[in-house]
Amino acid sequence: MARWGMVINLAKCTRCHACVAACRIEHFLPLRVTWPRLIALEVDEGYKVDVSTYPVRCNQCKDAPCVDACPTEASYKREDGIVAIDHDKCFGCRYCIIACPYQNRTYLSRKRDPGWFPGHPKTSIEKKGEKLYPHQRGTTEKCNFCMERIDEGLPKGLKPGIDRDATPACVNTCQAKALTFGDLDDPNSNVSRLLREKSGFVLHPEYGTDPSVYYIDYKLGGNDNTAPRESQTGYVVQHLSTVYEPSKAKLAVKHERGKKAVKDNCE
Amino acid sequence: MANREVVYTTCKSCHGGCGVKVTKEDGVIVKIEGNDKSLTGGTMCAKGLSSIQHIDNPYRIKYPMKQVGKKGEGKWKRISWDEALDTVAAKMKAAIADPGPQSIAISQGTGRGYNRYTMRMARSLGTGNAITPGYVCHSPRLGLYALVTGYGRLYCDYHGWGGVFPKTQIMWAKQLEISSADSEMCYWFMNSLDYVKNLIIIDPRASAYASRANLWIQPRPGTDSALALGMMNVIMEEELWDKDFVENWTYGFEELREHVKEWTPEKVSNTCWIPKEDVITAARMWAIDTPGTIQVGSSLERQANCGHTLRAITCLMGLAGNIEAPGSMISWVLPDTGLIEDFNLELPITDEMKKNIIGGDRFKMGATRTCNPDAMVKRILEGKSPIKVWFSVGGQQIVHMANTKEVVKAIEMVDFMSHTDLFMGPMAEAADIVLPAAHWLELDDVYDMHPRFFIEAHNKVVDPPGEARSDAWIFNEVGKRVVPDKWWNDDYEMLDYQLRRGKGKDGESALTWKDFSEKLISGCYGPDQVYYKYKTDFWKEGGGFPTPSGQFEFKSQHLESLGYPGLPQFAEPGESPVSTPDLYKEYPIVMSSGYRQPFYFLGQYRNIPWLRSFMEFPTCQLHPETAKLYDVEDGDIVWIESPRGRIRQKLRTFPGIKKGVLMATANCFYPEEPAKGYHGVFISNPNVLTSNNHLDPMYGSPDLTCLLCKVYKAKDEELTESVFHTEEYGFVPSSGMQDV
Ligand code: SF4
Ligand code: SF4
Ligand code: SF4
Ligand code: SF4
Repeated sequence: MARWGMVINLAKCTRCHACVAACRIEHFLPLRVTWPRLIALEVDEGYKVDVSTYPVRCNQCKDAPCVDACPTEASYKREDGIVAIDHDKCFGCRYCIIACPYQNRTYLSRKRDPGWFPGHPKTSIEKKGEKLYPHQRGTTEKCNFCMERIDEGLPKGLKPGIDRDATPACVNTCQAKALTFGDLDDPNSNVSRLLREKSGFVLHPEYGTDPSVYYIDYKLGGNDNTAPRESQTGYVVQHLSTVYEPSKAKLAVKHERGKKAVKDNCE
Repeated sequence: MANREVVYTTCKSCHGGCGVKVTKEDGVIVKIEGNDKSLTGGTMCAKGLSSIQHIDNPYRIKYPMKQVGKKGEGKWKRISWDEALDTVAAKMKAAIADPGPQSIAISQGTGRGYNRYTMRMARSLGTGNAITPGYVCHSPRLGLYALVTGYGRLYCDYHGWGGVFPKTQIMWAKQLEISSADSEMCYWFMNSLDYVKNLIIIDPRASAYASRANLWIQPRPGTDSALALGMMNVIMEEELWDKDFVENWTYGFEELREHVKEWTPEKVSNTCWIPKEDVITAARMWAIDTPGTIQVGSSLERQANCGHTLRAITCLMGLAGNIEAPGSMISWVLPDTGLIEDFNLELPITDEMKKNIIGGDRFKMGATRTCNPDAMVKRILEGKSPIKVWFSVGGQQIVHMANTKEVVKAIEMVDFMSHTDLFMGPMAEAADIVLPAAHWLELDDVYDMHPRFFIEAHNKVVDPPGEARSDAWIFNEVGKRVVPDKWWNDDYEMLDYQLRRGKGKDGESALTWKDFSEKLISGCYGPDQVYYKYKTDFWKEGGGFPTPSGQFEFKSQHLESLGYPGLPQFAEPGESPVSTPDLYKEYPIVMSSGYRQPFYFLGQYRNIPWLRSFMEFPTCQLHPETAKLYDVEDGDIVWIESPRGRIRQKLRTFPGIKKGVLMATANCFYPEEPAKGYHGVFISNPNVLTSNNHLDPMYGSPDLTCLLCKVYKAKDEELTESVFHTEEYGFVPSSGMQDV
């Protein structure tokens, strides 16, 4: 059985908030609810300034205090390491919110959701969302590693972290490729390799919860600039109809020919 | 069973270009995400994703409307499209008859992709008075790069198609990581970082990658040309230039060498307020570790020495031979669809039109094809308004131009203005007629923000609200009524025309909109691209550059012929600690309006709930030590004051900003504030503070990112506007448009 995990690259994150927006779309989150968050760290260490952004979301802890604290067994651990919530069992006691040392849980208030535009009818998209991803008010919510995508993808033979349709929405959208998803138990997975190569760490190991969300950080630069073969061939482009060929630039290339001509020209 | 449908299209929530996949269920959008088989690998930013909050948005403009009160009063009445278009057309015809077509101004903003329509509209009417934000964003770069490439484009080669990525990258006053602006996609840049040896950030304020870059230089705002001249001096002194390129392909090297001698690291250090080691290290990295790229930000073009700053940076590129080599600065070969801009370029600017371009006599690089907006404002205020009819689309001149008070006054004096947009904003409120525009999810069009190596299709996903129409349709309808021979029967014919040079499905016939819409992209990349064009006949028979000398010109003969110095110069900003020491005593902080957030695009999106939630209030930044000096604290609402006026923003102390410098958020108005007062444009917009008196001699660009200010805490009783009292980012515009 896999143990799903995420590796977050602090060197690359730009604080762009796309992951937050993607999660809102994926789960039709009510306006004021946000599962992933971005924490700014801005310090002047005297000899250098550190400006960082820590994207955080539920760590899907192996030893999850939120699960232990839940009196109704609404919060539970799945075999693949994901900590899930059964919203029919949750009765909103919020013990788990207090128990989570990372403050990654949100209570969805019982108050009526005013929608995106308070005082106006809900938009067609919001109304669809209420059917497609109903949120039970008066219960607790958090990031679930997009387990719906994983559960739908696996039977189709898709690999979470590799195939888009089985990969978390925030990971797919990140333009900086700061988020990587995969199986922590597989030593050859993309996440395991990254953790080895860039010495991954978890936030607040002293909490002792064994998180499945890891971080890497390093100085940018210092790389070899040789382009791998696949980037030399251009981009993979969606052509909705298959008969098209990529265009061929027509240009007379006469390398190294013109030097003398140019010299003559300017005299 | 619900009926699901997928539509592929192209995002245009910034300069645009990301491939988009939209899923609909029973006709309603249920998901928007990146298209993984596109140039941007299936990624999208918060702006693009939040575009679905434009759909069914109750604040969208849905019908043509006319102002029934005074300008800026917000009293609107719904009218029919026929009435709206006929009125605009009649005003234009009357202006053409008397005093002449030059009295019509066509203005635009940056967004939405209407560039070639505004330009064609101006040219087809016979006016050179197009108003664009170009003079403070991108035009200086294009014009000055054109002195090298002949057609104004030098891009950073982030792609690796030639076998290498850039070894040294300079981000100069630019946050490409947060927005796909100025012809590059952030996705490409961030991907190339995995292959970079030296990343150099030049920015007074720490952008996302500053503290992890190999070198981060914090120059005093407005002194960047000194830094570039100093880097060149180091390269000269240490003989690090690209010997082959300089010897065989350049002109004016010895004169440049002599010219930069005075810019010793010590002098640069004194001018830019940076350690002299920074100049030396940057110069060495740049010249030794080639190939390299310099990504220029438009903050440099919002300064009155912008022409020379850009010239100096271009010379730096040439010195290191970072022109047209794989992984350096390159001018792309276009796909088979050709230069889509020909759509407007094919209508020539006549001498008559040129003669009447406002500012053309002063700004000989900038005001040759478009008018200088600051000069126009001054002319209107002098009481002899050269503009009788103003056809405005999208842009917020009231917000982005220097000296907001003067701009508002001038715009109110224009006889007739129409404005086309998605939402009511300052420009719409100043108009007589408002036309409702469609969002990119609601229209068919060719995406071509700047001529890159590709164009893409905007495919319509849902219908626009009410009677809103695409910009292409609106332009064509107005054009048809005034100059029918220059426009089309319908907008789809116009799309076919723009694509005609491409190859259709059969490989023979002309590409049509219908085919292109399916094809989604027309591009030239990978092995199809061509490097080292100056060694081919591309620019010049026998090789070379399309310049007067046929060489890469360190010393520009073209600029000299226009009366400008041929070698790049340094000049202090109009107001600075050095140029105006007395003023500096009263206004002791150097200010820039260069602070941009990833989830806003210029003046847009403060009314999009998800995006507003990320930063509720326009924010300015000061170093904690500077803040202490002026007795202001993190979280305070502060007054920022200049000789022109004062604004309020929320203060954030930030160790990543240069001491003694204040960085204010640009382009802010409050959609939720009432029409009166132009949606709160005087509350927080930094251009209330900027001056339109000191302009770049080549481009007419004002000092928007380098001026002087003072800062002090606002008293509670001074926070009377409702924006200071809403607890949440709710926005209920009280514009009269709700009454229709
Ligand atoms: S999408 Fe990526 S870069 Fe943007 S904030 Fe999230 S993790 Fe950071
Ligand atoms: S991060 Fe918090 S909510 Fe998530 S599993 Fe760990 S303890 Fe539970
Ligand atoms: S993994 Fe899924 S649920 Fe968790 S933050 Fe990302 S998008 Fe949201
Ligand atoms: S970067 Fe620009 S084009 Fe891409 S998703 Fe964001 S707004 Fe759209």
